[in-house]
Amino acid sequence: MTTEAPIASPDALHWELGGTSRIPFAVYTDQQRHQRELERFFYKGHWCYVGLEAEIPNAGDFKRSVVGERSVIMTRAADGAIHVVENVCAHRGMRFCRKRHGNQTEFVCPYHQWSYAPNGDLQGVPFRRGVRQDGKVNGGMPADFNPKDHALTKLKVAVRGGVVFASFDHEVESLEDYLGPTILQYFDRLFNGRKLTILGYNRQRIPGNWKLMQENIKDPYHPGLLHTWFVTFGLWRADNKSELRMDAHHRHAAMVSTRGSMGQASGQAAQVTQVSSFKAAMELEDKRFLDIVPEPWWQLGEQMPTAVMTTLFPSVIFQQQVNSVSTRHIQPDGHGAFDFVWTHFGFEDDTAEMTERRLRQANLFGPAGFVSADDGEVIEFSQQAFESKPQHRTLAELGGREVGETDHMVTETLIRGMYEYWRKVMEAPEPSVAKEVSP
Amino acid sequence: MSNWTDVAAEADLFEGAGIPVAPGGRDIALFAVDGEVFATDNLCTHGHARLCDGFVEGHEIECPHHQGRFDLRTGDATLAPCTEPIKIWPVKVEGGRVFLDLG
Repeated sequence: MTTEAPIASPDALHWELGGTSRIPFAVYTDQQRHQRELERFFYKGHWCYVGLEAEIPNAGDFKRSVVGERSVIMTRAADGAIHVVENVCAHRGMRFCRKRHGNQTEFVCPYHQWSYAPNGDLQGVPFRRGVRQDGKVNGGMPADFNPKDHALTKLKVAVRGGVVFASFDHEVESLEDYLGPTILQYFDRLFNGRKLTILGYNRQRIPGNWKLMQENIKDPYHPGLLHTWFVTFGLWRADNKSELRMDAHHRHAAMVSTRGSMGQASGQAAQVTQVSSFKAAMELEDKRFLDIVPEPWWQLGEQMPTAVMTTLFPSVIFQQQVNSVSTRHIQPDGHGAFDFVWTHFGFEDDTAEMTERRLRQANLFGPAGFVSADDGEVIEFSQQAFESKPQHRTLAELGGREVGETDHMVTETLIRGMYEYWRKVMEAPEPSVAKEVSP
Repeated sequence: MSNWTDVAAEADLFEGAGIPVAPGGRDIALFAVDGEVFATDNLCTHGHARLCDGFVEGHEIECPHHQGRFDLRTGDATLAPCTEPIKIWPVKVEGGRVFLDLG
């Protein structure tokens, strides 16, 4: 008779050394854990990015978006108010809205033509009072059927600086408390009240776990090493003046850096990064990709950061890389893939030249960007390795094993901080059934 | 110029809902409210539904499809999701027959 080893609970993750400097591959590979992440991060207690106000400027405008893996619609009602409603018909549950964006005064599910107002209220139900035939009325909904009880699921909405966030959790803290004072100042620096203009979108499917995208933008170690374009053309140096900042929970972060010289690339970059692929002889055929013009809004206190990459956990990244500004929306699809949607924007007071400049610099980003194409690939190849040996772990020990803000880039502290928060939320006991909010 | 056309017998009308008539191939609904007769285009201006199958509430017709409403006296849309007015037709009743002025 043999004694079988107890089957490890799917919750049991082994964190080597007890902290978060060694991250189990299994945090990226398990579907059950992924479901828990959706419930605990995307659907409860957190704000998720859904879009920009400038995408729906007029009454009746709408944009289909995503919170976690749930399809939602961001709408502007006749009174100008912004609503976010779930794209699930109250009748038979169909995901009724197929258009990415448009303008209409109501939403009608094609299945049985239930009709909803832009704020999600149910307006009409075909044959609610039955159908007349030979002097009598057949069928219809029960007499106590009240359309007020059958609206679309309405999300809580917060708008700040033209950015729209939503939450299925109506008890969620305020957006400002959620961001915290440190991150809020970087948010307000970028979204400082000027009206935004939409310049365009990139969309890509990355076959890797969604957290890897957050980690990529919390990792200042890789840009000067992976992104040879950055190095070769002088946009990134590991000795740039820089800061890594976090909120009190360590879930959000800002990577702030200021280039030593505002001018064109210099060949000295290689001396700092030691990148073997650095090619001093290489020159840009079209130098306008790096036609950088400092803007007054970059100023923050005494500083004039040239790049601020802000990660808001779990759903979005706000990018300022010199004159290129964008939002990057993380839309998970199972544990092993996510859609990554980039919205490139500008400001209403931009000159035509500045708009051109932002668009040209946007060529560095997106799925085929001179820089960002690299990130999609390393995430894909990391996921492949994780799936092949989930009992193993990654190493994030650059700069030590602790978590804290720094005034340099030679550290993986932001990744360790994110997992500190991740563990706090994911390892908490299941909330009691009575407390469970079912949106 | 008037073009009064005999479309139905008054006795065919009943309170609470409408009846469809089709003079010259048009689709028109007749409604009786407290002994008075009203005529509107039958096809709702919102969804693809016939108002004659709807429900009369006071002087309003409620579309069977989405419960939007029109005022039978003016054709005005009075309840969402209906927003576009419905065309109304002049009516007279003579000798037990209902006439519409089709213009």
